[in-house]
Amino acid sequence: MDSLLNMNMETEIIEKRKNGKIKISCRQKDHSVRYFLIVIGVLTMISFLFLDIEWGKLLARLPEIPLIFMKLFTFQFDKMDQIIEAFFETVSVAVLSTFLGIVLGLFFGIFAANNILHIKGLPTFVKAFFSFIRAIPTLVWVLLMLVCLGFGPAAGIVGLCIHTTAFFTRSFAQSFEDVSDEVIEALEVTGAGKLQIFFHAILSSSFSQMIAWIGMRFEINFAECAILGMVGAGGVGFMISNSIQSYDYGTAGVAIVLVFLFAYLIERIFVAIKKTLAGKN
Amino acid sequence: MRSNPTMRKIPLYKEKEKQLYIRFFEIVLLIVIACGIYTRFNPFEIFLNAEYFWSFIFEDFLPPSMPDFLSTMNSIAITLAMAISATTVGGIMALFVSLFGSEYISPYKGIAKIVRGFATFLRNIPTLVWAFILFSSLGIGTGVGFIALMITSFAFLVRAFIETMDEISSDCVESLEAVGASFWQRVIHGIWPSCIHGYLSWFLYSLEVNIRASTIVGMVGGGGIGMVLLSYIKSFKYHKAAGIILAIAIIVIVVELLTNSLRKKMVE
Repeated sequence: MDSLLNMNMETEIIEKRKNGKIKISCRQKDHSVRYFLIVIGVLTMISFLFLDIEWGKLLARLPEIPLIFMKLFTFQFDKMDQIIEAFFETVSVAVLSTFLGIVLGLFFGIFAANNILHIKGLPTFVKAFFSFIRAIPTLVWVLLMLVCLGFGPAAGIVGLCIHTTAFFTRSFAQSFEDVSDEVIEALEVTGAGKLQIFFHAILSSSFSQMIAWIGMRFEINFAECAILGMVGAGGVGFMISNSIQSYDYGTAGVAIVLVFLFAYLIERIFVAIKKTLAGKN
Repeated sequence: MRSNPTMRKIPLYKEKEKQLYIRFFEIVLLIVIACGIYTRFNPFEIFLNAEYFWSFIFEDFLPPSMPDFLSTMNSIAITLAMAISATTVGGIMALFVSLFGSEYISPYKGIAKIVRGFATFLRNIPTLVWAFILFSSLGIGTGVGFIALMITSFAFLVRAFIETMDEISSDCVESLEAVGASFWQRVIHGIWPSCIHGYLSWFLYSLEVNIRASTIVGMVGGGGIGMVLLSYIKSFKYHKAAGIILAIAIIVIVVELLTNSLRKKMVE
Protein backbone atom coordinates (compact mmCIF):
# COMPACT_ATOMS: atom_id res chain seq x y z
CA MET A 1 0.00 0.00 0.00
CA ASP A 2 2.81 2.33 0.92
CA SER A 3 4.80 1.68 -2.23
CA LEU A 4 1.70 2.22 -4.33
CA LEU A 5 1.17 5.61 -2.73
CA ASN A 6 4.75 6.50 -3.46
CA MET A 7 4.35 5.59 -7.07
CA ASN A 8 1.29 7.77 -7.30
CA MET A 9 3.19 10.65 -5.78
CA GLU A 10 5.99 10.24 -8.31
CA THR A 11 3.70 10.26 -11.26
CA GLU A 12 2.26 13.46 -9.94
CA ILE A 13 5.64 15.15 -9.54
CA ILE A 14 6.95 14.36 -13.00
CA GLU A 15 4.72 16.18 -15.42
CA LYS A 16 4.32 14.60 -18.79
CA ARG A 17 3.26 15.99 -22.11
CA LYS A 18 0.29 14.59 -23.96
CA ASN A 19 2.47 12.32 -26.08
CA GLY A 20 4.02 10.80 -22.98
CA LYS A 21 7.36 12.59 -23.10
CA ILE A 22 8.82 14.16 -19.98
CA LYS A 23 8.98 17.93 -20.04
CA ILE A 24 12.53 19.13 -20.14
CA SER A 25 12.14 22.81 -19.55
CA CYS A 26 11.47 24.08 -16.05
CA ARG A 27 8.44 26.27 -15.66
CA GLN A 28 9.53 28.43 -12.75
CA LYS A 29 12.07 30.55 -14.56
CA ASP A 30 13.62 33.83 -13.69
CA HIS A 31 11.88 36.19 -16.06
CA SER A 32 14.38 39.04 -15.75
CA VAL A 33 16.61 37.52 -18.42
CA ARG A 34 13.69 37.25 -20.80
CA TYR A 35 12.67 40.88 -20.22
CA PHE A 36 16.24 41.96 -20.68
CA LEU A 37 16.50 40.15 -24.01
CA ILE A 38 13.22 41.66 -25.16
CA VAL A 39 14.41 45.17 -24.26
CA ILE A 40 17.69 44.65 -26.11
CA GLY A 41 15.81 43.29 -29.12
CA VAL A 42 13.47 46.26 -29.23
CA LEU A 43 16.36 48.72 -28.82
CA THR A 44 18.20 47.05 -31.67
CA MET A 45 15.17 47.26 -33.94
CA ILE A 46 14.77 50.96 -33.14
CA SER A 47 18.48 51.49 -33.79
CA PHE A 48 18.29 49.88 -37.20
CA LEU A 49 15.21 51.87 -38.14
CA PHE A 50 16.87 55.05 -36.95
CA LEU A 51 20.19 54.43 -38.69
CA ASP A 52 18.39 53.77 -41.97
CA ILE A 53 21.36 52.01 -43.55
CA GLU A 54 21.24 51.62 -47.30
CA TRP A 55 21.59 47.86 -47.30
CA GLY A 56 21.28 47.48 -51.07
CA LYS A 57 24.22 49.75 -51.70
CA LEU A 58 26.29 48.09 -48.98
CA LEU A 59 25.57 44.59 -50.18
CA ALA A 60 26.30 45.54 -53.76
CA ARG A 61 29.74 46.71 -52.75
CA LEU A 62 30.43 43.72 -50.52
CA PRO A 63 32.40 41.83 -53.19
CA GLU A 64 34.96 44.61 -53.03
CA ILE A 65 36.09 43.56 -49.55
CA PRO A 66 37.96 40.43 -50.72
CA LEU A 67 39.52 42.54 -53.46
CA ILE A 68 40.82 45.01 -50.87
CA PHE A 69 42.21 42.15 -48.83
CA MET A 70 43.93 40.75 -51.90
CA LYS A 71 45.53 44.15 -52.41
CA LEU A 72 46.45 44.44 -48.72
CA PHE A 73 48.12 41.06 -48.73
CA THR A 74 50.25 41.71 -51.79
CA PHE A 75 52.91 43.16 -49.52
CA GLN A 76 55.20 45.91 -50.64
CA PHE A 77 58.36 46.23 -48.63
CA ASP A 78 59.96 49.24 -50.30
CA LYS A 79 58.85 51.59 -47.49
CA MET A 80 59.91 49.15 -44.82
CA ASP A 81 62.31 51.54 -43.06
CA GLN A 82 59.56 54.13 -42.65
CA ILE A 83 57.15 51.51 -41.36
CA ILE A 84 59.67 50.18 -38.83
CA GLU A 85 60.44 53.67 -37.61
CA ALA A 86 56.75 54.52 -37.21
CA PHE A 87 56.11 51.18 -35.56
CA PHE A 88 58.80 51.70 -32.93
CA GLU A 89 57.47 55.16 -32.25
CA THR A 90 54.03 53.64 -31.64
CA VAL A 91 55.44 50.98 -29.32
CA SER A 92 57.42 53.61 -27.42
CA VAL A 93 54.37 55.79 -26.97
CA ALA A 94 52.44 52.79 -25.67
CA VAL A 95 55.20 51.82 -23.22
CA LEU A 96 55.76 55.35 -21.92
CA SER A 97 52.10 56.17 -21.49
CA THR A 98 51.46 52.88 -19.70
CA PHE A 99 54.47 53.38 -17.42
CA LEU A 100 53.55 56.94 -16.52
CA GLY A 101 49.98 55.79 -16.02
CA ILE A 102 51.14 53.09 -13.60
CA VAL A 103 53.19 55.55 -11.54
CA LEU A 104 50.43 58.16 -11.39
CA GLY A 105 47.75 55.50 -10.95
CA LEU A 106 49.57 54.07 -7.94
CA PHE A 107 49.83 57.54 -6.44
CA PHE A 108 46.18 58.46 -6.97
CA GLY A 109 45.08 54.91 -6.20
CA ILE A 110 46.26 55.41 -2.63
CA PHE A 111 43.90 58.36 -2.31
CA ALA A 112 41.07 56.58 -4.06
CA ALA A 113 41.13 53.43 -1.92
CA ASN A 114 39.07 53.75 1.24
CA ASN A 115 41.17 51.43 3.42
CA ILE A 116 44.53 53.23 3.37
CA LEU A 117 44.45 56.87 4.39
CA HIS A 118 41.05 56.99 6.11
CA ILE A 119 40.28 60.56 5.11
CA LYS A 120 36.54 60.96 4.95
CA GLY A 121 35.04 61.85 1.60
CA LEU A 122 38.34 61.88 -0.26
CA PRO A 123 38.04 58.43 -1.92
CA THR A 124 34.57 59.21 -3.25
CA PHE A 125 35.73 62.52 -4.64
CA VAL A 126 38.86 61.09 -6.31
CA LYS A 127 36.89 58.20 -7.78
CA ALA A 128 34.19 60.48 -9.17
CA PHE A 129 36.78 62.80 -10.70
CA PHE A 130 38.60 59.97 -12.43
CA SER A 131 35.47 58.28 -13.66
CA PHE A 132 34.61 61.54 -15.36
CA ILE A 133 38.05 61.61 -17.03
CA ARG A 134 37.71 57.97 -18.00
CA ALA A 135 34.36 58.59 -19.61
CA ILE A 136 35.95 60.78 -22.27
CA PRO A 137 37.42 58.52 -24.95
CA THR A 138 41.21 58.31 -25.19
CA LEU A 139 41.32 59.63 -28.71
CA VAL A 140 39.52 62.80 -27.67
CA TRP A 141 42.19 63.42 -25.04
CA VAL A 142 44.87 62.91 -27.65
CA LEU A 143 43.11 65.35 -29.98
CA LEU A 144 43.04 67.97 -27.22
CA MET A 145 46.70 67.40 -26.45
CA LEU A 146 47.52 67.75 -30.13
CA VAL A 147 45.95 71.19 -30.03
CA CYS A 148 47.76 71.97 -26.78
CA LEU A 149 51.24 70.55 -27.31
CA GLY A 150 51.50 70.48 -31.06
CA PHE A 151 52.22 67.50 -33.25
CA GLY A 152 54.55 64.72 -32.25
CA PRO A 153 54.72 61.78 -29.88
CA ALA A 154 54.45 64.00 -26.76
CA ALA A 155 50.80 64.72 -27.46
CA GLY A 156 50.10 61.01 -27.86
CA ILE A 157 51.95 60.11 -24.68
CA VAL A 158 50.25 62.75 -22.52
CA GLY A 159 46.80 62.17 -24.01
CA LEU A 160 47.02 58.42 -23.49
CA CYS A 161 48.58 58.89 -20.07
CA ILE A 162 45.60 60.90 -18.82
CA HIS A 163 43.15 58.16 -19.68
CA THR A 164 45.49 55.41 -18.49
CA THR A 165 45.99 57.14 -15.14
CA ALA A 166 42.24 57.33 -14.66
CA PHE A 167 41.93 53.64 -15.51
CA PHE A 168 44.71 52.54 -13.17
CA THR A 169 43.53 54.75 -10.32
CA ARG A 170 40.21 53.02 -10.32
CA SER A 171 41.44 49.47 -10.89
CA PHE A 172 44.34 49.72 -8.43
CA ALA A 173 42.05 51.22 -5.80
CA GLN A 174 39.71 48.30 -6.35
CA SER A 175 42.55 45.80 -5.87
CA PHE A 176 43.70 47.66 -2.74
CA GLU A 177 40.21 47.51 -1.32
CA ASP A 178 40.06 43.76 -1.95
CA VAL A 179 42.87 43.25 0.57
CA SER A 180 41.19 41.85 3.66
CA ASP A 181 40.91 44.07 6.72
CA GLU A 182 42.53 41.43 8.93
CA VAL A 183 45.84 41.78 7.14
CA ILE A 184 45.84 45.53 7.62
CA GLU A 185 44.69 45.29 11.22
CA ALA A 186 47.40 42.77 12.01
CA LEU A 187 50.02 45.20 10.82
CA GLU A 188 48.35 48.12 12.58
CA VAL A 189 48.53 46.22 15.85
CA THR A 190 52.29 45.78 15.48
CA GLY A 191 52.58 49.54 15.16
CA ALA A 192 53.32 49.84 11.46
CA GLY A 193 52.86 53.24 9.86
CA LYS A 194 50.53 53.88 6.97
CA LEU A 195 53.33 53.73 4.42
CA GLN A 196 54.65 50.48 5.85
CA ILE A 197 51.19 48.98 5.75
CA PHE A 198 50.84 50.07 2.16
CA PHE A 199 54.12 48.64 0.96
CA HIS A 200 54.21 45.44 2.98
CA ALA A 201 50.59 44.41 3.10
CA ILE A 202 48.48 46.09 0.49
CA LEU A 203 50.88 46.38 -2.40
CA SER A 204 52.30 42.88 -2.07
CA SER A 205 48.95 41.17 -1.76
CA SER A 206 47.36 42.97 -4.68
CA PHE A 207 50.43 42.54 -6.86
CA SER A 208 49.21 39.73 -9.11
CA GLN A 209 45.90 41.48 -9.69
CA MET A 210 47.75 44.63 -10.63
CA ILE A 211 49.87 42.75 -13.17
CA ALA A 212 46.66 41.51 -14.76
CA TRP A 213 45.31 45.07 -14.97
CA ILE A 214 48.60 46.33 -16.41
CA GLY A 215 48.62 43.63 -19.05
CA MET A 216 45.07 44.42 -20.05
CA ARG A 217 45.77 48.12 -20.25
CA PHE A 218 48.98 47.71 -22.22
CA GLU A 219 47.04 45.78 -24.84
CA ILE A 220 44.47 48.56 -25.01
CA ASN A 221 47.11 51.26 -25.12
CA PHE A 222 48.94 49.63 -27.98
CA ALA A 223 45.73 49.37 -29.97
CA GLU A 224 44.95 53.01 -29.19
CA CYS A 225 48.47 54.05 -30.19
CA ALA A 226 48.13 52.22 -33.46
CA ILE A 227 45.09 54.31 -34.31
CA LEU A 228 46.37 57.62 -32.97
CA GLY A 229 47.93 58.43 -36.31
CA MET A 230 44.59 58.29 -38.01
CA VAL A 231 43.41 61.47 -36.32
CA GLY A 232 46.66 63.32 -36.95
CA ALA A 233 49.28 62.14 -34.45
CA GLY A 234 52.19 60.22 -35.91
CA GLY A 235 53.11 56.58 -35.66
CA VAL A 236 52.09 53.48 -37.50
CA GLY A 237 48.44 54.56 -37.67
CA PHE A 238 49.42 57.49 -39.84
CA MET A 239 51.28 55.08 -42.14
CA ILE A 240 48.19 52.89 -42.42
CA SER A 241 45.64 55.62 -43.04
CA ASN A 242 47.95 57.55 -45.33
CA SER A 243 48.83 54.56 -47.49
CA ILE A 244 45.21 53.46 -47.74
CA GLN A 245 44.14 56.94 -48.76
CA SER A 246 46.81 57.07 -51.44
CA TYR A 247 45.85 53.58 -52.68
CA ASP A 248 49.20 52.14 -51.59
CA TYR A 249 47.57 49.02 -50.15
CA GLY A 250 50.72 46.89 -50.09
CA THR A 251 52.46 49.16 -47.61
CA ALA A 252 49.32 49.45 -45.46
CA GLY A 253 49.10 45.65 -45.44
CA VAL A 254 52.62 45.30 -44.05
CA ALA A 255 51.89 47.85 -41.33
CA ILE A 256 48.59 46.16 -40.38
CA VAL A 257 50.22 42.75 -40.15
CA LEU A 258 52.96 44.22 -37.99
CA VAL A 259 50.34 45.72 -35.65
CA PHE A 260 48.48 42.44 -35.52
CA LEU A 261 51.60 40.39 -34.75
CA PHE A 262 52.68 42.71 -31.95
CA ALA A 263 49.20 42.81 -30.41
CA TYR A 264 49.08 39.02 -30.53
CA LEU A 265 52.54 38.77 -28.95
CA ILE A 266 51.52 41.02 -26.04
CA GLU A 267 48.38 38.96 -25.47
CA ARG A 268 50.37 35.69 -25.36
CA ILE A 269 53.05 37.11 -23.04
CA PHE A 270 50.56 38.39 -20.50
CA VAL A 271 48.54 35.18 -20.61
CA ALA A 272 51.77 33.33 -19.79
CA ILE A 273 52.66 35.76 -16.97
CA LYS A 274 49.19 35.51 -15.50
CA LYS A 275 49.39 31.72 -15.57
CA THR A 276 52.71 31.59 -13.74
CA LEU A 277 51.48 34.09 -11.15
CA ALA A 278 48.28 32.10 -10.65
CA GLY A 279 50.38 28.93 -10.28
CA LYS A 280 52.45 30.55 -7.56
CA ASN A 281 49.54 31.63 -5.41
CA MET B 1 70.22 31.36 10.01
CA ARG B 2 68.75 31.09 13.47
CA SER B 3 72.15 30.29 14.91
CA ASN B 4 73.55 33.53 13.58
CA PRO B 5 73.39 36.00 16.50
CA THR B 6 74.17 39.09 14.41
CA MET B 7 71.06 38.55 12.29
CA ARG B 8 68.37 40.70 13.88
CA LYS B 9 65.87 41.16 11.09
CA ILE B 10 63.62 38.46 9.79
CA PRO B 11 63.58 38.57 5.99
CA LEU B 12 60.08 39.42 4.79
CA TYR B 13 60.61 38.11 1.30
CA LYS B 14 62.44 35.13 -0.08
CA GLU B 15 65.82 36.28 -1.31
CA LYS B 16 65.43 34.54 -4.67
CA GLU B 17 62.02 36.05 -5.34
CA LYS B 18 63.27 39.49 -4.39
CA GLN B 19 66.10 39.24 -6.87
CA LEU B 20 63.70 38.09 -9.59
CA TYR B 21 61.48 41.11 -9.01
CA ILE B 22 64.43 43.48 -8.96
CA ARG B 23 65.70 42.04 -12.25
CA PHE B 24 62.20 42.42 -13.69
CA PHE B 25 61.93 46.05 -12.66
CA GLU B 26 65.39 46.76 -14.04
CA ILE B 27 64.37 45.42 -17.44
CA VAL B 28 61.13 47.39 -17.42
CA LEU B 29 62.96 50.58 -16.51
CA LEU B 30 65.52 50.02 -19.24
CA ILE B 31 62.76 49.58 -21.82
CA VAL B 32 61.02 52.72 -20.58
CA ILE B 33 64.21 54.79 -20.78
CA ALA B 34 64.97 53.45 -24.25
CA CYS B 35 61.48 54.41 -25.39
CA GLY B 36 61.86 57.86 -23.82
CA ILE B 37 65.08 58.45 -25.74
CA TYR B 38 63.60 57.12 -28.97
CA THR B 39 60.62 59.48 -28.91
CA ARG B 40 62.66 62.34 -27.38
CA PHE B 41 59.92 62.66 -24.77
CA ASN B 42 60.75 65.02 -21.96
CA PRO B 43 58.18 65.00 -19.16
CA PHE B 44 59.55 68.28 -17.82
CA GLU B 45 58.82 69.97 -21.11
CA ILE B 46 55.17 69.78 -20.24
CA PHE B 47 55.74 71.47 -16.90
CA LEU B 48 57.71 74.17 -18.65
CA ASN B 49 54.86 74.68 -21.09
CA ALA B 50 52.31 74.52 -18.28
CA GLU B 51 51.37 78.15 -18.63
CA TYR B 52 50.31 77.73 -22.22
CA PHE B 53 48.53 74.52 -21.28
CA TRP B 54 46.40 76.10 -18.55
CA SER B 55 45.63 79.18 -20.59
CA PHE B 56 44.40 76.91 -23.37
CA ILE B 57 42.17 74.97 -21.03
CA PHE B 58 40.69 77.89 -19.13
CA GLU B 59 40.44 80.48 -21.89
CA ASP B 60 40.01 78.69 -25.19
CA PHE B 61 38.30 75.63 -23.92
CA LEU B 62 36.20 76.40 -20.87
CA PRO B 63 33.40 77.25 -20.30
CA PRO B 64 31.72 74.80 -22.63
CA SER B 65 28.97 76.17 -24.80
CA MET B 66 26.20 73.95 -25.99
CA PRO B 67 25.76 73.85 -29.75
CA ASP B 68 22.31 73.41 -31.23
CA PHE B 69 20.52 71.05 -28.87
CA LEU B 70 18.39 69.11 -31.36
CA SER B 71 21.13 68.35 -33.85
CA THR B 72 23.44 67.30 -31.00
CA MET B 73 20.79 64.94 -29.68
CA ASN B 74 20.35 63.56 -33.17
CA SER B 75 24.04 62.82 -33.61
CA ILE B 76 24.21 61.30 -30.12
CA ALA B 77 21.32 59.03 -31.08
CA ILE B 78 23.19 57.93 -34.21
CA THR B 79 26.25 57.04 -32.15
CA LEU B 80 24.17 55.10 -29.62
CA ALA B 81 22.22 53.32 -32.34
CA MET B 82 25.43 52.29 -34.08
CA ALA B 83 26.85 50.86 -30.86
CA ILE B 84 23.68 49.00 -29.81
CA SER B 85 22.93 47.44 -33.19
CA ALA B 86 26.57 46.43 -33.75
CA THR B 87 26.84 44.80 -30.32
CA THR B 88 23.59 42.88 -30.71
CA VAL B 89 24.33 41.55 -34.18
CA GLY B 90 27.91 40.74 -33.21
CA GLY B 91 26.63 39.04 -30.04
CA ILE B 92 24.11 36.87 -31.88
CA MET B 93 26.77 35.78 -34.36
CA ALA B 94 29.24 35.09 -31.56
CA LEU B 95 26.59 33.03 -29.73
CA PHE B 96 26.62 30.47 -32.53
CA VAL B 97 30.23 30.70 -33.65
CA SER B 98 31.61 30.34 -30.11
CA LEU B 99 29.94 26.91 -29.88
CA PHE B 100 32.32 25.69 -32.55
CA GLY B 101 35.30 27.38 -30.94
CA SER B 102 35.11 25.63 -27.57
CA GLU B 103 37.00 22.36 -27.43
CA TYR B 104 34.56 20.74 -24.98
CA ILE B 105 31.48 21.39 -26.98
CA SER B 106 32.39 21.74 -30.62
CA PRO B 107 31.09 18.81 -32.64
CA TYR B 108 34.11 19.01 -34.91
CA LYS B 109 37.19 19.20 -32.74
CA GLY B 110 39.43 20.29 -35.58
CA ILE B 111 37.42 23.42 -36.22
CA ALA B 112 37.85 24.80 -32.68
CA LYS B 113 41.40 25.97 -33.28
CA ILE B 114 40.57 27.52 -36.64
CA VAL B 115 37.62 29.43 -35.21
CA ARG B 116 39.69 30.75 -32.33
CA GLY B 117 42.55 31.72 -34.61
CA PHE B 118 40.17 33.59 -36.88
CA ALA B 119 38.62 35.43 -33.93
CA THR B 120 42.08 36.31 -32.62
CA PHE B 121 42.99 37.73 -36.01
CA LEU B 122 39.85 39.87 -36.16
CA ARG B 123 40.21 41.02 -32.58
CA ASN B 124 43.83 42.09 -32.66
CA ILE B 125 43.32 44.55 -35.49
CA PRO B 126 41.96 47.74 -33.92
CA THR B 127 38.41 48.85 -34.73
CA LEU B 128 39.61 51.99 -36.44
CA VAL B 129 41.87 50.06 -38.81
CA TRP B 130 38.84 47.97 -39.75
CA ALA B 131 36.92 51.17 -40.27
CA PHE B 132 39.62 52.47 -42.61
CA ILE B 133 39.81 49.24 -44.60
CA LEU B 134 36.03 49.15 -44.94
CA PHE B 135 35.68 52.83 -45.77
CA SER B 136 38.03 52.37 -48.68
CA SER B 137 36.00 49.48 -50.05
CA LEU B 138 32.42 50.33 -49.06
CA GLY B 139 32.45 54.11 -48.90
CA ILE B 140 31.75 56.39 -45.94
CA GLY B 141 28.61 56.18 -43.80
CA THR B 142 26.94 54.85 -40.69
CA GLY B 143 26.41 51.44 -42.30
CA VAL B 144 30.14 50.92 -42.66
CA GLY B 145 30.76 52.18 -39.13
CA PHE B 146 28.23 49.59 -37.99
CA ILE B 147 30.09 46.80 -39.78
CA ALA B 148 33.48 47.87 -38.40
CA LEU B 149 32.12 47.90 -34.84
CA MET B 150 30.36 44.60 -35.40
CA ILE B 151 33.54 42.84 -36.51
CA THR B 152 35.52 43.70 -33.37
CA SER B 153 32.67 43.13 -30.95
CA PHE B 154 31.94 39.81 -32.63
CA ALA B 155 35.58 38.72 -32.27
CA PHE B 156 35.77 39.90 -28.67
CA LEU B 157 32.54 38.16 -27.71
CA VAL B 158 33.60 34.89 -29.34
CA ARG B 159 36.61 34.79 -27.04
CA ALA B 160 34.61 35.85 -23.98
CA PHE B 161 31.81 33.34 -24.68
CA ILE B 162 34.28 30.50 -25.17
CA GLU B 163 35.86 31.31 -21.82
CA THR B 164 32.44 31.42 -20.14
CA MET B 165 31.56 28.02 -21.55
CA ASP B 166 34.88 26.48 -20.59
CA GLU B 167 34.35 27.60 -17.01
CA ILE B 168 30.88 26.18 -16.62
CA SER B 169 30.18 23.40 -18.97
CA SER B 170 32.06 20.14 -18.53
CA ASP B 171 29.83 18.28 -15.98
CA CYS B 172 26.56 19.39 -17.40
CA VAL B 173 27.55 18.67 -20.98
CA GLU B 174 29.01 15.29 -20.12
CA SER B 175 25.87 14.17 -18.33
CA LEU B 176 23.73 15.29 -21.22
CA GLU B 177 26.02 13.47 -23.62
CA ALA B 178 25.71 10.34 -21.47
CA VAL B 179 21.94 10.24 -21.82
CA GLY B 180 22.33 10.54 -25.57
CA ALA B 181 21.38 14.14 -26.22
CA SER B 182 22.20 15.49 -29.67
CA PHE B 183 24.47 18.49 -30.20
CA TRP B 184 21.65 21.04 -30.40
CA GLN B 185 19.84 19.49 -27.44
CA ARG B 186 23.01 19.80 -25.42
CA VAL B 187 23.39 23.42 -26.45
CA ILE B 188 19.81 24.53 -25.93
CA HIS B 189 19.11 22.65 -22.70
CA GLY B 190 22.56 22.49 -21.15
CA ILE B 191 24.97 25.16 -22.24
CA TRP B 192 22.90 28.23 -23.01
CA PRO B 193 20.75 28.18 -19.85
CA SER B 194 23.78 27.79 -17.60
CA CYS B 195 25.87 30.39 -19.42
CA ILE B 196 23.22 33.00 -20.11
CA HIS B 197 24.17 35.23 -17.19
CA GLY B 198 27.83 35.13 -18.13
CA TYR B 199 26.96 35.86 -21.75
CA LEU B 200 24.83 38.84 -20.85
CA SER B 201 27.43 40.31 -18.53
CA TRP B 202 30.05 40.12 -21.30
CA PHE B 203 27.50 41.51 -23.74
CA LEU B 204 26.96 44.52 -21.50
CA TYR B 205 30.70 45.07 -21.18
CA SER B 206 31.04 44.95 -24.95
CA LEU B 207 28.21 47.46 -25.28
CA GLU B 208 30.04 49.81 -22.96
CA VAL B 209 33.25 49.51 -24.99
CA ASN B 210 31.35 49.97 -28.24
CA ILE B 211 29.77 53.24 -27.16
CA ARG B 212 33.24 54.69 -26.80
CA ALA B 213 34.46 53.06 -29.99
CA SER B 214 31.50 54.31 -31.97
CA THR B 215 32.33 57.95 -31.16
CA ILE B 216 35.84 57.27 -32.44
CA VAL B 217 34.67 55.49 -35.59
CA GLY B 218 32.40 58.47 -36.14
CA MET B 219 35.44 60.74 -36.29
CA VAL B 220 36.94 59.07 -39.33
CA GLY B 221 33.70 58.90 -41.29
CA GLY B 222 31.09 56.85 -39.48
CA GLY B 223 28.98 59.88 -38.62
CA GLY B 224 27.37 60.71 -35.29
CA ILE B 225 28.76 62.70 -32.39
CA GLY B 226 32.40 61.93 -33.18
CA MET B 227 32.17 63.58 -36.57
CA VAL B 228 30.57 66.68 -35.03
CA LEU B 229 33.34 66.87 -32.42
CA LEU B 230 36.13 66.55 -34.96
CA SER B 231 34.62 69.21 -37.18
CA TYR B 232 34.42 71.64 -34.24
CA ILE B 233 38.02 70.95 -33.22
CA LYS B 234 39.27 71.33 -36.77
CA SER B 235 37.49 74.67 -37.16
CA PHE B 236 38.92 75.91 -33.81
CA LYS B 237 35.49 76.20 -32.13
CA TYR B 238 36.83 74.89 -28.85
CA HIS B 239 33.97 76.06 -26.62
CA LYS B 240 31.50 74.09 -28.67
CA ALA B 241 33.90 71.14 -28.76
CA ALA B 242 34.01 71.25 -24.95
CA GLY B 243 30.22 71.11 -24.89
CA ILE B 244 30.25 68.03 -27.12
CA ILE B 245 32.94 66.37 -25.00
CA LEU B 246 30.84 66.99 -21.92
CA ALA B 247 27.86 65.41 -23.66
CA ILE B 248 29.95 62.35 -24.60
CA ALA B 249 31.19 62.02 -21.02
CA ILE B 250 27.65 62.16 -19.66
CA ILE B 251 26.40 59.48 -22.07
CA VAL B 252 29.30 57.18 -21.29
CA ILE B 253 28.84 57.61 -17.54
CA VAL B 254 25.09 56.97 -17.75
CA VAL B 255 25.60 53.86 -19.87
CA GLU B 256 28.34 52.66 -17.52
CA LEU B 257 26.16 53.07 -14.44
CA LEU B 258 23.30 51.31 -16.18
CA THR B 259 25.36 48.36 -17.43
CA ASN B 260 27.17 48.03 -14.10
CA SER B 261 23.97 47.79 -12.12
CA LEU B 262 22.53 45.33 -14.64
CA ARG B 263 25.69 43.26 -14.53
CA LYS B 264 25.54 43.09 -10.75
CA LYS B 265 22.00 41.79 -11.03
CA MET B 266 23.18 39.20 -13.57
CA VAL B 267 25.86 37.90 -11.25
CA GLU B 268 23.31 37.46 -8.47
